[in-house]
Amino acid sequence: MATQSDLFDVPFEDDPEAADATAPLIEPAPAPAMDVAAPIAAQVPVAPAPRVAAPAASTPIAPATRQVLSVTAITVQIRDLLETGFVEVWVEGELSNCRLWNGHLYFTLKDDRSQLRGFMFKSALRYLRFKPADGLRVVARGRVTVYEPRGEYQLQCEHLEPQGLGALQLAFEQLKKRLQSEGLFSVERKRPLPSLPRKIGIVTSLDGAAIRDIIKVLARRYRNAHLVIRPSRVQGEGAGAEVAQAIRAVSRVPGVDVVIVARGGGSIEDLWAFNEESVARAIFHAPVPVISGVGHESDVTIADFVADLRAPTPSAAAEMVVTAKDEFCHRIDRLADRARSALRMRLQRDSRQVHALSGRSALAGVPGRIAMRSRDTAELRHVLTRSVRARTLAASRRLATLQRQLDTFDLGRRLAAIRTRLVSADGRLDAAVARRRHRADLQWRGQVARLEAMNPLAVLGRGYAVAWNADRTVALRRAAEVAPGDRIRVTLADGELGCDVRSRTEGVN
Amino acid sequence: MDGSIKDFEAAIAELETIEKKLEEGDASLEQSLALYERGVQLSRFCHARLEEAERRIEILTDRGDLRPAPATLSDDERR
Repeated sequence: MATQSDLFDVPFEDDPEAADATAPLIEPAPAPAMDVAAPIAAQVPVAPAPRVAAPAASTPIAPATRQVLSVTAITVQIRDLLETGFVEVWVEGELSNCRLWNGHLYFTLKDDRSQLRGFMFKSALRYLRFKPADGLRVVARGRVTVYEPRGEYQLQCEHLEPQGLGALQLAFEQLKKRLQSEGLFSVERKRPLPSLPRKIGIVTSLDGAAIRDIIKVLARRYRNAHLVIRPSRVQGEGAGAEVAQAIRAVSRVPGVDVVIVARGGGSIEDLWAFNEESVARAIFHAPVPVISGVGHESDVTIADFVADLRAPTPSAAAEMVVTAKDEFCHRIDRLADRARSALRMRLQRDSRQVHALSGRSALAGVPGRIAMRSRDTAELRHVLTRSVRARTLAASRRLATLQRQLDTFDLGRRLAAIRTRLVSADGRLDAAVARRRHRADLQWRGQVARLEAMNPLAVLGRGYAVAWNADRTVALRRAAEVAPGDRIRVTLADGELGCDVRSRTEGVN
Repeated sequence: MDGSIKDFEAAIAELETIEKKLEEGDASLEQSLALYERGVQLSRFCHARLEEAERRIEILTDRGDLRPAPATLSDDERR
C-alpha cells in the first residue's frame, strides 16, 4: 500500500491556515469518523465549549418580544441544522488549495460559482488510491460539519475518488456490451489448444515477474518447449496499442501454434491496457489460439472475455500448455495399448476358432496323431540332443583335464630332474666301472698267472727243448719222424735253433 | 505401407488409423501383426521426437527478427 508521502505532492505546511488571518487551526484528534461527537469537540480550542442548550427559536419573532441570541448560540443552532441536514452527501467539484497538515488533508472543492471547504482525516486517507492535486475533478462523499470559531461549514470527507474512475468503469461496461454483441466473446468461436503445442508465442514485459513465472513452469515440466517472446509495455499510455501489435506479430511467426498474453497483478488502472478495444480485436483475429493470463484470480479484463482460454495467472497459462503436451503423450501411449489389446483379442478369437474346428469328429484324430508324432519327434530329438550333449560334455571334460595336466606339466623341471639323476647315475656308474675294472684286472692277472703256470713253454726254462719239423708245424715226438739229414727246428727257453739231423738212435728211453 | 515416417503429424495420423483398423478386426492375422509392428514403430518415433528437441527461448524484435533470449531469462533454474 502506498504511503501518504507517495500519494501526495502537495506542500507540507506547519500551518494549514497560513493564508488565513485568523488563529491557526488546532490539530483535530484522529478519532474514528463514526464517532460524531468527538471531532467536533476536538475542533474547539483549549477548553471544550459546553453544549449550550439553544432556546427553541423556530417561531417568528413578534416585534414586541424579540429574542436576541449570542453569536455562539446561533452558531450552534446553525451547526445542528447543517449537521443533521447533510449527514451523507456526494459532492463533485474541482480540487484546489490542497495541503497536508499533520497527516490530514485540507482542500477546497469548487465549481464556477461556489466553493466548499473540505478536509479528510489521516485515517480515511489510507484508502485513497490516487494523488489529490489542484485542478483534479473529484467526487467526494462525506458530511457537513461546522467549525464554530471561524463560523465555517466544511465537508468532512470519508471517500474521495477522481471523477475519471467512474468514467473508466462506465467505458468498461460499454465496450464489453458492444464487443459481446458483435460476437467477440462467443464460445463457439473459441479454439481448442493444439494437441501438441510446440512453439509458444508470449506477449509480456521482459522485466516483470510474469515471464519468469512462465519460464519456471515450463522449465520444470516441458523442458524442450520453444518460446518466442515479443516484449511489450503492459501498462501506461499507449500500452494497449503495443500489446495489440505484439499479439499480431508473434501469432504470425511461422510455427507458433499458441500465444500467451501475460501480465502480473495490479490495480484496475494498471491493467487497463487489456481492456482496450485494439487488444480485444487483435486477440479475436489471431490465427492461433490465445491464452490470457492477466493479473490475479479476481481481475477480469476484456482480453479475458475474448481469449480462447482464460488463465487466472501467468503461471496458470503456462500450466495449460504443459497439460496439453502431457495429454498428447498419454494419447500416444493409449493408442499403442489399444492396438496391443486389439491384437491380443484377435489372436484369442482365432485360437478359439481353431479349437472349435478341431473338436469336430473328422478332424478329431488328426491333432492327436500329430501330437503323438510330434511327441515322438520331440523325444527323439531330445534323446539325440542329450547324447550328443553328453559326449560333447565328456570330451570337453577330458580336454579340460588334459589341458590342466599340460599346464601343470613343467617340462623344464622334469628335464632338470632327469639331468640330476643322470649326473648322479653317471657318477655311480663311473665308480662301478672302476671297481669292475679293478676286479677284472685282478682276475686277469690271476688268470694270467695261472696261465703262465700252465704254459708248457715255461718248462723250457728248466732246460727242456721242443723239437719241431722243418716248418714248425708239428712238434716232434719220435725219432722215427725224422731221418738223418732232415732239417728240424728246436725251441729253447729263450730262442730257437735250426738244425740238421746227423744221426738217429732209437729206443733209448 | 512404406517404411519411412515423414513427420510427427503423419506419424500420429497413421497410428490412429492403425488403431482403428485393429479394433475393427477385419484384417487377416498376418496383416494384423504387421499393423501392430508398424504401430510400435510409429509410437517409438513419436516419443523420440518429443524428447529430442532442445529448449529454445527467442525474442521477436520490432523489425521482425528472431534473436536468442538473454541468459538472464533462463537463469532462474540455476538459482
